[in-house]
Amino acid sequence: MRSREKRETRILAIDPTTQGFGFVVLEGPETLVDWGVAHVRTEKTLRTLERVADLLDHYAPDLLVLEDAEAAGSRRRERARKLLQKTAELASRRRVRVKRVPMKAVKKAFAQESVRTKPEIAAAIARRFPELASRLPPRRKPWMSEDERMAIFDAAALALTPLLGRRHDRSRDVRE
Amino acid sequence: MAQKLPNYLKSHRKRLGLTQDQVAFLLGCRSGTKVSRYERFARVPPLRTAMAFAAVYHTSVETLFAGVYDGVERETEPRARRLEAKLADAKSVQMSASKVTPRVQP
Repeated sequence: MRSREKRETRILAIDPTTQGFGFVVLEGPETLVDWGVAHVRTEKTLRTLERVADLLDHYAPDLLVLEDAEAAGSRRRERARKLLQKTAELASRRRVRVKRVPMKAVKKAFAQESVRTKPEIAAAIARRFPELASRLPPRRKPWMSEDERMAIFDAAALALTPLLGRRHDRSRDVRE
Repeated sequence: MAQKLPNYLKSHRKRLGLTQDQVAFLLGCRSGTKVSRYERFARVPPLRTAMAFAAVYHTSVETLFAGVYDGVERETEPRARRLEAKLADAKSVQMSASKVTPRVQP
């Protein structure tokens, strides 16, 4: 009989956008289980919460990762802040652990991989998960608004941050 | 840590950039509805379909249906241990019997 494989933490990360949200589901730092952009047109908060609830039911994650909109330097507007708060409450009610990651922590985690800007982080994620390469939007010009597909990469960056942090901590432990 | 998902059909399909209808065509189904049901864990495919999925996605049935496999393994493990104990008991009884029984000289 096969010895049971090591279980990886299943992480769901959500990144709200103006017209819905981007999400990724990871099992450990190497396995991308699902990803996508969900669109909601009317009653955005309610519909978004319904879609997130579906994802929580389907994937039963160990951890939900959201942006910490209350952290200093966050550019999230009121609607997104409230939505993130309600999403966290929804997950807590379902006994899913919630981690709020400030964007500063995301940049810090990826800085250790020598990538700093948002497009560079997205490109690094596309290199790590080649299945996302086709969703990588072209580099935007200053007059262009952000491509909605970027939400997938933002969610992936959020999901990877605690994992990358853990890996760097482990390598630091080994060195010490 | 989380249990494995019942199956990873959706991940593999999206990795290949296929639609549910295209996968249904490859499996010989009429539409993607069945594929959707399997991906939503609403139905477990029959063995032939599971093998067809494995052939389409170039992976093993065990990898594709990791959660189902784990469940079956978990159910089988205690039975395997019981059988092992039973066989060990039978062997020890046989050995002690062979020690007690005098050999009959022809």
